[in-house]
Amino acid sequence: MKSNRSFLVQLQILTKRMVLRVVRRPLAELPNLIISAFFLFVYDGALGGVFGGTASGTPFDFAKGNFINFILPVSIVSASLSGAASGIYLVEDIESGVFKRYQSMPISRWAIILAPMNVGALRVLLQSGLILFIGIIIGADPAVGNIGFLIVLSIAFIWGMGFAGYSVAAGVKSGSSQGAQAATFLFFPAIFLAPTFVPREALKGWLETAAAYNPTTYVIEAMRAVMVDGWELDILFRGYLSAGLFAALTLTLAVLSARKATEKA
Amino acid sequence: MLAVDVKNIKKTFVSKQDYVEAVKDVSFQVKQGEIFGLLGPNGAGKSTTILMLTTLLSITEGSASILGLDVSSKDKEVREKIGVALQDTGIDNLLTGRELFFTTCRLWGYSNKDSEKRTTELLELVGLMEAADRRVKTYSGGMKRRLDLGLSLVHSPEILFLDEPTTGLDPGSRRVLWDEIKRLRDNGVTIILTTQYLEEADELADRIAIIDEGLVVAEGTSDELKAGIGGDVITFAFENNNDLENAKNILKNTVQEKNELRITVEDGASKIPGYLKDLGSNGVEVSSVSANKPTLDDVFLEVTGYRLEGSEDITNEEEKRKR
Ligand SMILES: Nc1ncnc2c1ncn2[C@@H]1O[C@H](COP(=O)(O)OP(=O)(O)O)[C@@H](O)[C@H]1O
Ligand SMILES: [Mg+2]
Repeated sequence: MKSNRSFLVQLQILTKRMVLRVVRRPLAELPNLIISAFFLFVYDGALGGVFGGTASGTPFDFAKGNFINFILPVSIVSASLSGAASGIYLVEDIESGVFKRYQSMPISRWAIILAPMNVGALRVLLQSGLILFIGIIIGADPAVGNIGFLIVLSIAFIWGMGFAGYSVAAGVKSGSSQGAQAATFLFFPAIFLAPTFVPREALKGWLETAAAYNPTTYVIEAMRAVMVDGWELDILFRGYLSAGLFAALTLTLAVLSARKATEKA
Repeated sequence: MLAVDVKNIKKTFVSKQDYVEAVKDVSFQVKQGEIFGLLGPNGAGKSTTILMLTTLLSITEGSASILGLDVSSKDKEVREKIGVALQDTGIDNLLTGRELFFTTCRLWGYSNKDSEKRTTELLELVGLMEAADRRVKTYSGGMKRRLDLGLSLVHSPEILFLDEPTTGLDPGSRRVLWDEIKRLRDNGVTIILTTQYLEEADELADRIAIIDEGLVVAEGTSDELKAGIGGDVITFAFENNNDLENAKNILKNTVQEKNELRITVEDGASKIPGYLKDLGSNGVEVSSVSANKPTLDDVFLEVTGYRLEGSEDITNEEEKRKR
């Protein structure tokens, strides 16, 4: 029989298997989607309803009259955190012994590690895309035109992969799915120590300092620039750079820890 | 060529907190086409041994080869030849049996078409055709073990490692697996299995190594091991402790278990009257006495100094079932 065990074929098979696992647990997708949509609706409901169409000079003119544009980046960032499932998927396989079974077969260990990353990436794209779609329906309208949606999605993707890498590293290090799950608590400082609900100028004291060191700040600001203000290339660049550096760092950690996990004890 | 040749392997786990000699010195040889049983209690080092032989753990000292291939230096080649069903079954509960077989076939390199064919063959072989399209989550323990066995057979390995394939199964499911394992052996597959059950080793294994605290303490066919005890086992039971203690001094070389003393001698039945006379003249009351051919149970007791717990499980379960 003809035999094909190339790396790409193995990666494809393992990814497909993991997609099946995700599809079989659709409810697991809901919490993160709901939280992300929650930002969109609650913020717009709370402020947009009251101050909708605010002229400049009011406390809310940072939104330039469209609160959806202002808050959509936060929702998208929140949706992109779904990438953190990668670590949970991987650790589930370690805990169940599936990982060991694969190791006892002639399968590339990188294919074993990359498959959950692939699925994490898909998840980021789908969840972010879905939130974006909801945003469009309820009136998001980027200042730079429709290409703004693509820019927002691309930053979200890089950011989400950063979280995927982070969760893989944390999961493998802790060796338990609780460990990987706990890693997702990074969500709270990431979102709440950032200019999430008001622009950075409006933050005061230690919160302002914390936000300045939080890469999420620059990611949100870049998306917001595109949505609310127009082409501000330096802000955009800072956003891509923050997301890119974060992803590079966590993916390196993921590779290092995964290499250790697949070594023989 | 030997199927498996293990020479004085050793495994120590070193961490900051502790230093565990999981396997101290294990050697054995397995011929092609036989079932070899590693019999030992929990914690004896069976799984660690299997993990080393299947390239999943490094060997601290000593060496092992499979079909002449060194396990440490030729791990890739070794993995091609072996099938492995580990103790903690790595089974994906969310997929169906058919999907698991198909995925595993694809991973071994079969094309889509060949994978479908092989999946059907294997589902038939392990008797899971009817449950093929159900999620594994819904499978019984026995079905999961059979699935696990089937998955380890995808690439038609020459050598199969099964770590406690029937632990925790009811007697019926255990029998089904035993039959399957024997059938594989009859088709030329060499099988190395571990077990905590004396009956399983006795029934399945062509040869047995008893492993205790990381050491092989006895090795041979079941008959050889029993014959090695030399003669028959005489069991004396006592009603009070004084009698037992006195008898211990009089009889010498006995092994005590609860209120019983055992002694192994040639031609046991003919020696009973002599012993009883000795005991009686010293005022020791014996409540019952019997002579039996040694069982694997006796062999285990003899070589380790204790009885294998859980060895009665099967009989108990079987009795429960009869009721
Ligand atoms: N990874 C490990 N680290 C430390 N100790 C271990 C490890 N794996 C097994 N052990 C210890 O080694 C001994 C043998 O274990 P194992 O091979 O699993 O026995 P068995 O399979 O016969 O029950 C046990 O005392 C166990 O606690
Ligand atoms: Mg074990």
